[in-house]
Amino acid sequence: MISDSITNASATSAPSARDFGKKKRTNRSAKLKQSKLGLRREQWLSQVAMINKGDKEEMDSNRRIGSEKPDQRDRLVENLDGQRREEDNNGTHRHESFIESLSNSPNSILSGMNSIPNFSSSSSSGSGGSCSGNITEEEDADDDGCLDDWEAIADALAADDEKHEKQNPPESCEEHGDIKQLAYPRDLISGSDVVAKADCPRTMSRKQKSNQAWRPDDKLRPQGLPNLEKQRSFPVMNLHFNSVTVPSSCPICYEDLDLTDSNFLPCPCGFRLCLFCHKTICDGDGRCPGCRKPYERNTIKVEASVQGGGLTIRLARSSSMFCRILVECKSNRNFLVEFGAFAQPIVLMFGG
Amino acid sequence: MIDFSRVQKELQDCERNQDSSGIRVCPKADNLTRLTGTIPGPIGTPYEGGTFQIDITMPEGYPFEPPKMQFSTKVWHPNISSQSGAICLDILKDQWSPALTLKTALVSIQALLSSPEPKDPQDAVVAEQYMKNYQVFVSTARYWTETFAKNSSLEEKVRKLVEMGFGDAQVRSAIESSGGDENLALEKLCSG
Repeated sequence: MISDSITNASATSAPSARDFGKKKRTNRSAKLKQSKLGLRREQWLSQVAMINKGDKEEMDSNRRIGSEKPDQRDRLVENLDGQRREEDNNGTHRHESFIESLSNSPNSILSGMNSIPNFSSSSSSGSGGSCSGNITEEEDADDDGCLDDWEAIADALAADDEKHEKQNPPESCEEHGDIKQLAYPRDLISGSDVVAKADCPRTMSRKQKSNQAWRPDDKLRPQGLPNLEKQRSFPVMNLHFNSVTVPSSCPICYEDLDLTDSNFLPCPCGFRLCLFCHKTICDGDGRCPGCRKPYERNTIKVEASVQGGGLTIRLARSSSMFCRILVECKSNRNFLVEFGAFAQPIVLMFGG
Repeated sequence: MIDFSRVQKELQDCERNQDSSGIRVCPKADNLTRLTGTIPGPIGTPYEGGTFQIDITMPEGYPFEPPKMQFSTKVWHPNISSQSGAICLDILKDQWSPALTLKTALVSIQALLSSPEPKDPQDAVVAEQYMKNYQVFVSTARYWTETFAKNSSLEEKVRKLVEMGFGDAQVRSAIESSGGDENLALEKLCSG
């Protein structure tokens, strides 16, 4: 049903769009990418025109689209899949989430199937981000009749983009470009109210709820999705680690903490103290002054030193601190962590 | 060995915000092993308006051992001995932490005044009264506060005792001989 409305809509809107697009192209100084995109777009428009030649043909094409749908979707997903694997080594969760987000917005898939050639070629050019920007400019001026819908869709897209930005780390702007490119042909099709209305309210309402794709307590949130709260908390821990919140003096003896002391975290409660006071306590009852829980029997000793900009942390006989240090070091990435546990020291490196 | 530098810093810290908290710590002698803490009675309790003095003796292991504290002002409270002024408070015993300070300990004592724990009493008589006859407990505690925890001037003490029917000169000498203690003076006057 949706595909029906799409093709009908494009039948009415497509010719005028082409005229406007041509005018625009003559007026504008054609950058290389723009012209490439223009060509692609023309190809696509001519496809649409072919489809719209007759009612019979339209029905046929509908059927064809319908039959191609699952196949195309697979191809699309494969494309995305491949790309993501290149960029993200451990991104299986994210990959899942992306697919999930695609299947949540069926329109983008429908549109994606029409723009498969478009998509794949642009992704090979490898500068999707800037391309999509140009498309926006060009097409904003294209269709006056669809302006209202454009605005609505732009809002929806903004929500969409925010969603993706929340899911993806900021450095993967290439992906965003691709996503946008996927989305824009959809918008060409959805000049009609039907698709826009079908799509927008849902996306908008989601946007109003919150700008996140899934809130942590969302029931629809896929299980495989990585915990974003944890990821977002990394910078905070980073700050914590970089002695922003570390007290300047030992709360027990009131002496200043040196670098070793300030990197010494003997208890999971986060209570910091100097090594001297820690030793005195361990000689006595051995309970953390902060939480009154006994210190781990395997006394944790952390030694940190700055070597060529990187921080080396040495842990001795540590078991409970393992995860904590691991997490903190992950956030800093450049750290070389040595775990001198029992017999053999384990050296873990986190590449920057 | 007492960490004197820490004690010194604690005293400075206490002095800095003495006005806001009303809690004072002063050394009794020069060596900082014996101190006197002063806390105001919490508002809304029978101890309101009183100023309570606490003797503090620093142990050798301070701050890894708790300071020894006991009331030198007489208090009617289930967790404070009405005889010796000994305080039944976990942070002064097994729940002490080196992260606590003299000031936080005094704040805790102040909190103990406003929320007694009669199920873990120091003074069984007071605790029983608290449980069985709360109104009597309140009035007794208030009377003790009025009597022992309020620093009335010498003239006020004299006036009170003169009102009871003793002679002015007699009262003054009795107060002087009892070291300013109104009740002791009264006892002396009564015993003749």
